[in-house]
Amino acid sequence: MNAAMTQDAILKISSLQKRYGEVNVLKDIDISMAPGEFLVLVGPSGCGKSTLLSCISGLTDISSGTIHIAGRDRTNDEPADRDIAMVFQSYALFPNMSVERNIGFGLEVRKVNEAEKKRKVAEVADLLKIEHLLHRRPAELSGGQRQRVAMGRALVREPKLFLFDEPLSNLDAKLRVTMRTEIKRIHQTTGASIVYVTHDQIEAMTLASRIVVMKDGVVQQIGTPQEIYNKPVNAFVADFMGAPSMNLMTGTATREGEHVRLQIPTPEGPPLELFDYGPGPETLAAGDTAELTIGLRPEAMTDLGLRSGGMDGRTLQSADCLLDVVEPAGADTYAVVQLGGTEAVARLSADAPVAAGQRVPIAFDLSKISYFDIASGNRL
Amino acid sequence: MLGRRQKREKWILLAPALAVLALITLIPLANTLWLSFTDTRISALPEPVHFIGLENYVYALTDPDFQEALFRTLYFTIVSVGLEGVLGVAVAVLLNQEFRGRTLLRALIILPWAVPTIVNAVAWRLIYHPDYGALNSLLFQLGIISDYRSWIGDPATAMNMVILADVWKNFPLVAYVALAALQTVPEDLSKAAAIEGAGPWKRFCSITLPWIAGPLMVVMVLRTIEAFRVFDIIYVMTGGGPADSTKTASFYVYQEYFNYLRSGSGASYAVLVAGISAVLIVFYYSVTKRQTAGGAA
Amino acid sequence: MRRSLVQSILLYGCALLLAAFTAGPLLWLAVMSISAPTDLTEVPLRWIPSQLDFSRYAALLSLDGGNGERFLSALRNSILTAGGATAAALLLAIPAAYAFSRRQASMVLLFAFLATIMMPPITYVLPLYSTFSSLGLLNHTVTLIIVYTAMLLPFATWLMKANIDVLPVEVEQAAFMEGAGTAYTIRQVVLPLALPAIAATAMLSFLVAWDEFFYALIFTNDLSAKTLPVAIADFSAGRVTDYGVIASVGVLATLPPAILAIAFQKFIVSGLVAGSVKG
Repeated sequence: MNAAMTQDAILKISSLQKRYGEVNVLKDIDISMAPGEFLVLVGPSGCGKSTLLSCISGLTDISSGTIHIAGRDRTNDEPADRDIAMVFQSYALFPNMSVERNIGFGLEVRKVNEAEKKRKVAEVADLLKIEHLLHRRPAELSGGQRQRVAMGRALVREPKLFLFDEPLSNLDAKLRVTMRTEIKRIHQTTGASIVYVTHDQIEAMTLASRIVVMKDGVVQQIGTPQEIYNKPVNAFVADFMGAPSMNLMTGTATREGEHVRLQIPTPEGPPLELFDYGPGPETLAAGDTAELTIGLRPEAMTDLGLRSGGMDGRTLQSADCLLDVVEPAGADTYAVVQLGGTEAVARLSADAPVAAGQRVPIAFDLSKISYFDIASGNRL
Repeated sequence: MLGRRQKREKWILLAPALAVLALITLIPLANTLWLSFTDTRISALPEPVHFIGLENYVYALTDPDFQEALFRTLYFTIVSVGLEGVLGVAVAVLLNQEFRGRTLLRALIILPWAVPTIVNAVAWRLIYHPDYGALNSLLFQLGIISDYRSWIGDPATAMNMVILADVWKNFPLVAYVALAALQTVPEDLSKAAAIEGAGPWKRFCSITLPWIAGPLMVVMVLRTIEAFRVFDIIYVMTGGGPADSTKTASFYVYQEYFNYLRSGSGASYAVLVAGISAVLIVFYYSVTKRQTAGGAA
Repeated sequence: MRRSLVQSILLYGCALLLAAFTAGPLLWLAVMSISAPTDLTEVPLRWIPSQLDFSRYAALLSLDGGNGERFLSALRNSILTAGGATAAALLLAIPAAYAFSRRQASMVLLFAFLATIMMPPITYVLPLYSTFSSLGLLNHTVTLIIVYTAMLLPFATWLMKANIDVLPVEVEQAAFMEGAGTAYTIRQVVLPLALPAIAATAMLSFLVAWDEFFYALIFTNDLSAKTLPVAIADFSAGRVTDYGVIASVGVLATLPPAILAIAFQKFIVSGLVAGSVKG
């Protein structure tokens, strides 16, 4: 991160630590975010993502480190002084106030004059399509409407930074998709800078301009959805992002001239053999053999029907696999194959004529392959 | 959560309440403590005050009248609270059954609680009246007694009659707490025990009672603390008599202060009574804490 | 489970007995208050009044004549004292409860609050008496209001804390994020949500103050400040020869708390149970 970038960052977190007594819940967090970015903090529960958001908001004080927002040190500032707004998981609407007063509350506190307040509330209500709800109480609204009001309350003050704490997790599955689109639309219209916490990796992939994957209070990887998906820095990220998750198979790699020979053991007989004509694991010297974790996403293991171009023998290679379980899922059919000590999932076409117990040729797309160290899980 | 500001704010929020409590309780408490080491008297003219060390306490602890007052207080407390406990649980069990008029009865028993303590004392004093009291008349007409009695004029019965009046007013609290606890007893537990062949009494002792023991204990200790300070009902019903048979510790201190005007000596009695209360209060704290930690309430 | 006939008889018998034990003394008090004076001195008693006599109520509720004036001024003093103390206690208790609930004020301190009211009043009464006496504040309603405020405060704080605890904290955080200060948040967000709790706390506090006797006995000595309990004790100990007058004063003093208790039974019972059991 160069100096100019630091200057321009809308949010810059440096060496942030958060301890509760002896427990270190956030360890050395460094994040820099450019204006207009949609940054998604994602990770399993207990990874510290919500605590980190709470630290950014100022609702939780931090143990060490600094937080800069729009170039100013806000580490010790009150939440209200940080020029930020937050959308809570439970919406946290004021039940005793009308929608209009809920949205205008921040302006009311700041003693903005009545006409100005009304105008801004109307503007936001128009953007969120909730003009007709302004005189209702939160109790009279549906989940999706409450969600819009909560966003309206955040938007109306035009803060430098928006914080979203799992805002969709209280909605049913269908509404969640609608609201996801809605949030994306608002981001595109307003160009707002957003930090967004979720445990749902699909939400992260669809919304983010960049994703921060966290685990046990440590940032695992920061990158665009494509980087995170295609080049996960370790086995954890590979496993956590994507559904179904990446197949992590234990096997051996040997560098033989221009290719790397991969052998993945199968329970029923000889190992599966593939040849990686790409760069292969960097640490592997010519002639060396190493045991490692081989990562391939389900969509890199397909049936031949999907590969009309046929095998080129280099990036696409075919091998027969014994299908353990076949799970039709509508658009695709997933087939489980015992490979390298794991239940590897292959993503086949919906109408693939396959059944459990059959040996079927599977096309492996080696351009999407990842290698991880077995002990550390780090990308090789 | 937020560090410094919240800490500062906490004290700002607490300050008014703390100030009032300090003025009305803490400072007087310290003052009483100080008085108890002096020979101060209440008088219109300023009198010299001497620090006399533990003299008041030596006197108080060897004063047989005060000891008797303490024992009377203890008797009042144990018998009242004991009866309130038994009656309260019995009423709660009854009100936990399904029967017609249950809702009405549940509402009815709040009335004794709502009656002001002084009205309660006055009403029972009228009921116990030796000549025109309802109790005498009722028992006589039912043939239970052949002569009218002076219920609170007789040292042998006075204290017990006061206790009856106190129990009447205070059993509803115990009953309501016990009832609330009873309503959380899982029906399955009782049914399972019934299938195992346990009779109603056995089920009550081995399932119901242990289940409600926690909250019951807390409210009984709370009642004990209240009963130990008993004053109002004594003041109105018997004035400590007859023959001091209802003179409790609080009443004793009251007389030492306001009848005999010996504030130094009275303060030492007050401190001793407060000390016993403090022990009860600490006990209350520990059962409440255990109760909260147990989470059964 | 079905009940046998014997069980049913036993159950309804117990219920009747309880109803009689609970209502009996009160009914008798009411009957006495409307019996002719001569009915009350018959031996054995005449249970059913020979005629209904409401004259005592009429006398008590009119300012003419000693009893009426004594009763009405005591009623006024009681309303002022209990009402004033309740309002003051709530005003102090709400911020304190917020500090305990949301600002991590020590629970030991809260318990110390409670311990102060559990102590016998004789612990505090003499220094208070001396102080009020030297300030010339004896026999003033405001004195009782101050003392009662301290007496009600711990319990009110405790109840309010328990009720604030269960409010969603995120709503307050949202208010802070929007820039509201603590005072504004308490007023605009917390209090509206806690309104039922405040009402319950106010009612219980009022009843406790209405009931107080000891301090009132010591700090007041005439019509200008004596509260109902002291006035009733006076009636009972004084030269009143008609027991019906004492009974009707008792009935009138019981009516306000009894009406509150019956009308808000659920409220009050749950407040009582929570207040006495929860830590």
